[in-house]
Formats: sequence, C-alpha cells, structure tokens
Amino acid sequence: MRILIVEDDPDVGDDLAAALTQAGFVADVVRDGSTAWFQGDTEDYAAAILDLGLPQLDGLSVLRRWRANGRGFPVLILSARGDWTEKVEGIQAGADDYMAKPFVMEELVARLRGLLRRVAGHISPTITIGKLALDTVRMAASVEGRAVSLSPLEYRFLDLLCHQPGRVAATHLIAEHLYGTCESDDTNAIEALVTRLRRKVGPDIITTRRGLGYALVEESA
Amino acid sequence: MKPSAFLARSIHGRLILGAALAILLALGIAGSGLVWLFQRHIEQREAFSLEAKAKELLPGLHVDAAGKPVAETRPSDGRFWRPASGLYWQASTPAGAIHSRSLWDQSLALPSEVTLGTTGESWHLRHSDGPFRHGLIIIARQIRPDPARAPIIVQFATDDQPLAMLLDEFRLETALALCLLWLVLVLAAVVQIRLGLRPFRRVGAELDRLRRNPAERLSTDHPREIAPLIEAINALADARAADLERARRRAADLAHGLKTPLAALAAQSRRARAEGATQAADAIDRTIAVAQATLEAELARARSAIAREREAPAQADVAQIIEGVVSVVERTDAGGMLAFDIDVPVGLEAPLSPGDLAEILGALIENAAKYARRRIMISGRVEASTVVLRIGDDGLGIDSERFSQALLRGGRLDESGPGHGMGLSIAADLVMATGGMLSLGQPPLGGLSVELRWPMAEGER
Repeated sequence: MRILIVEDDPDVGDDLAAALTQAGFVADVVRDGSTAWFQGDTEDYAAAILDLGLPQLDGLSVLRRWRANGRGFPVLILSARGDWTEKVEGIQAGADDYMAKPFVMEELVARLRGLLRRVAGHISPTITIGKLALDTVRMAASVEGRAVSLSPLEYRFLDLLCHQPGRVAATHLIAEHLYGTCESDDTNAIEALVTRLRRKVGPDIITTRRGLGYALVEESA
Repeated sequence: MKPSAFLARSIHGRLILGAALAILLALGIAGSGLVWLFQRHIEQREAFSLEAKAKELLPGLHVDAAGKPVAETRPSDGRFWRPASGLYWQASTPAGAIHSRSLWDQSLALPSEVTLGTTGESWHLRHSDGPFRHGLIIIARQIRPDPARAPIIVQFATDDQPLAMLLDEFRLETALALCLLWLVLVLAAVVQIRLGLRPFRRVGAELDRLRRNPAERLSTDHPREIAPLIEAINALADARAADLERARRRAADLAHGLKTPLAALAAQSRRARAEGATQAADAIDRTIAVAQATLEAELARARSAIAREREAPAQADVAQIIEGVVSVVERTDAGGMLAFDIDVPVGLEAPLSPGDLAEILGALIENAAKYARRRIMISGRVEASTVVLRIGDDGLGIDSERFSQALLRGGRLDESGPGHGMGLSIAADLVMATGGMLSLGQPPLGGLSVELRWPMAEGER
C-alpha cells in the first residue's frame, strides 16, 4: 500500500518513511507543498500523512485542493502548533485524523492502520435508502449528493438501520449493537445521537417509531 | 514610624515642616523688628518729655567765677524735689556739679566724650545704671553759656522701669498675635500643600490600577505641570506592554519551533533503538516527554497571559465553536463511540476570542471524552447577564473533595486511577484569564459536570 508522506523536516520525514516501510507500507516522501499537491493529485495513494507547515504551499491548502479535485484518500495531519482552532480547520478542510508533534511513532502507525481499515474490507461500496447514501468504504454519508461527515458511532448506527428488515430497529437492539450491552440510561445517549445525526443529515431521514425504535425513511417525500 | 523616617519619606511632611519653620523665622524677625521700633518710639517720646523739662533749667544756667555751675531757675516738676523719685537732673563742670534734690546724695555718671560727640550741642540719649538701683534713661548735652569759662554738661534722667513694663506688655501681646498668625499661616500652608499634592494622589491611584491591569493607562486630564510625567509613564507602560507581547510571542514561537526538532529527536531515538541501543533510546524518550510537557505548559501559560491582556474581548459564536471542536473529538478513539448531546441556541455569543474559547472547550470536551461512558452533554444559555456553558459526561466522575486538586496546574488525578486530568487546569487558567469562572459539579446521574460562566459585556445586556 502506498503512503504519501509530506514533511519538510528531513529527519522526521526519513524516520516516518523508515517506520512505515518497516510496517509494510511503501512510502513516498515529498518536502514541499507544491510537489505534495501534484503527487497527491496525480498518483494513486492509499493514504497521506500531511505536515501543515510546508514551504511554497501550506498543508491546509494542499488538502483543500486535493479534496476539491475529488481525491478522497484518508489524510492524517501532523502539526507543530497543536491548538484547537487549527485542529478544527484541519478536520473541516477534509482531514480524517490529526496528530500534534512530537508524536509517538507507534501511535501514528496505529492510527494510520485505523484509517486504512475503514477504507478496506467493504466490498459493497454504497447503500442508498431514500435521500441517504451510506458509503461503506469511507464510512461516510451523503444526502442528495451533499457529503456528511460521520463519527464512528453515527456510522455504526446508520449501518445498523440500513441492515434491519423493514429498516426499523428497537432501542435496546441499537444499544446492544453500539455498546455490546444495554443499560437503562442508554436511551438518553441514543436520543442525543439521533438528535445530532438529524442536525447533520437533515430532519427527514430518521424517524422515531413510538414504542418501537428508530427507522430510516425509504421514500423521499 | 519615627518622625525622622516619616519626614524622609513624605514630601507632604517635609513641605509642611519647611513651611512652618520658614514662617516661624519670618514672624520672629518681624516680631523683633516691631519690638525694636516700639522701644525706639517710646524712648524718643521720653526724651522729648525730658527735653521739655530741661528747657526750664537751661536759660538760667551759668558758670560762676570758681568754675562751678549755678542755676537761677529750677525745673518745676515736683518729682525733682522728692528724693529717689525717679526723675533727676544734674549740671556738671570740671570744678563741681549741682543736681536736683531728688538725687539726694547721689550723682549721675558723666557721659564719655564719645557719647557726647565732638560739639555736644544736641541731646544724646543713653541707658545707664543710676542711683537707688534704678535703670535710667539719660539725655545729656553740653552747653557753654559763657565762652570764656568751662562748658556745663547737663543731664536729665528718668527711671526706665515704666518703659520696660510697657515694652514687656508690648512684647507679650505681639508674641501672642504672631503665634496666632503663625498657626493660621501654617494651616493655610497645609491646605495649599494638600491641594498641590492632590494630583499626585490621583496619579498614585491610577498607577495602582495600572499595576493591577497592564492594559490601563493614566488619564490625561492632569495639571499642566505633571502632564509630561504622565505622558512618560504612559509611554513606559506602552513600551513595557510591547516588550512583554514580543517576549511572549517569542516564547510561543520558540515553543512551537522546538516541536519539530523534538520530533526529529524522536526519530533519532527510534534509530538508536533499532540499532540495539535500547537504554539510550529510553533515556532520549524520557527527555522528549519532559521537554514536551514543559513546552505544553509554557504554551498554555503564554496563551493565558495574552488572553488576560486582550483589551476588547471579541465575541465568539459558541454553537459554531462547539460544533468544530466536537467534529474533531468524534474522530478520536475516545470520542468516536460517544453520543454528543448539544443544547446550545444558535447565535449565543460568549465574550472572549474564538481561539481562546476553542482552546477551553477543546480541552474540556476532549477530557470529558476520555472519561465518558456513552454520552457527553453540552449546554449553553444566558442566565442573568451571564453566559453559562456546561460540559458534562456520564463517566465515573471525581469526588468533590478532589475538585480543587483537579484544577491545580499539573494536578493529574488520572495518575491514581480513573478521573479527570490535565485538561481541566489548562482550561481553568484560560477561563480565568478571559474574565470567566470555572466550577466543577457532580450531576445526580454521575460523571463530572464543568460549568463555565462569563459575565456579558455592558453593551450586550
């Protein structure tokens, strides 16, 4: 699997390359923003590790250009600044994960594997129910073509509803599926989850079946 | 405080003491002058009165053949006839003398040549001890009724006791009046000094405010005389603020700049480990961890300090920032499987910069995600002109006795098991620096609830 490493510090870049090679990946290292953008845009990578402070073109701009051109590979941002405003900007620009420097190499490799695992292993790429399309490769959703970013919990919830006969799932079933057990106050957590999901995908995708649980709306009204 | 120490340290005290002494000296000189003038005046009056009496004696005075003085008419005042009455006359030549009956068997001392002057033809006044233990005022002159014979020295004298009494009375009254005047003048000086120093008291109060809040400046409506001082102090405060800001930015830049080298050092450590130098690699890793913790603490401190000095707090869109922070946290391992229960009205604004609010909420929500079981509750509302945000989780929570420990910088409760860690103290610092309050609570359903409060700016109420 080819990984693009964008890092201007030679020591850190080489160390990343060595660690990823040792972990069984093929790593390409580039040291500036323009080259990174070009490489990511033209070559086929499984994922990218992107430093934000880069010469020529900064990391966020590189990421935005990739996403604008439809390059969907997972991106893990590495940054020296590490403040929350930057983290939020990174995620909103389309990053999948974020790590602050200095980092522990084992953790970075583990997170990279996590990102790749989401992409791998799913054969059926997209399930479409009503207005909602669930991308089982990227674990993301879109509503009428508009991309919606999901947390793992939200993805698992939607995935469960998709695979239910009649697309209805009882609350205790959802709790067992999400948490492995069902406890009395899980209902509150699931309610909060649905509220937030509705805010993301729109109000008319998930309905509440009183006494039964939750369901996906099949027909677009 | 000893008086001398007080004077050494108080301009007020020194000015008042100086004024009191100067006024005392001036009044003393004035008083002595007045007494001298008065004394001269009454002595001259006495001399005139004696001269008038002498006019009765002088026309009938001549010298006989033996060279002794002879008086054909004598002064009429009865006191000249009563022995030791205090009023005397005497006419003397080298050959002999005649005198008033009041002198009895005594005589008046002759004036020296120097006192009488070269001609001796005008009256000369002098003080002298006289007979009968009297102090005397004596006037004396020399006449020469017969140019062929010796001149006569004529003296008229009066007891100076009544004059001395008059002078003493005058002295006492003058001293009393001058003391009263001294008191009034010193009081006036005190008032004047207080009024004069009042601008300095105000400057002192304003400087105190400046010390507590470096963003304050001294007001510019001070008297003309101290305006240059005020301008200089304000310029100094500006320069200091700029220096501080530069130093902080450099500290922050330095801290950020050190992170990449630390990452590079971590790379070296891994290489060393790969080559079998496990102990060296462990040591390097420990050093990196310490350096990183120090850097993070320094950055948090710098951020708090900058937030504290920010003059006009910006407005932060609470809902938008929470949304951003949650979108990051729900991608982390800890946050990925949690439900976020967000209840914040759209358009709610908090009186601090968006960056600071993101930092506070980031630390708190990330912290809550570490300990939550299923759910994180985030709510926001305005209560009595105060923006109130609550972040709660449904984890194990911490005992209320350990709340204060949790808020201490570096007080890591999670060292001793499940609890709430570093994020709290960083957030607490920043909340305080932005004029807010952070408090911890235990919601009835368990977990930990963090409450943030910021009073709204005046214009927003």
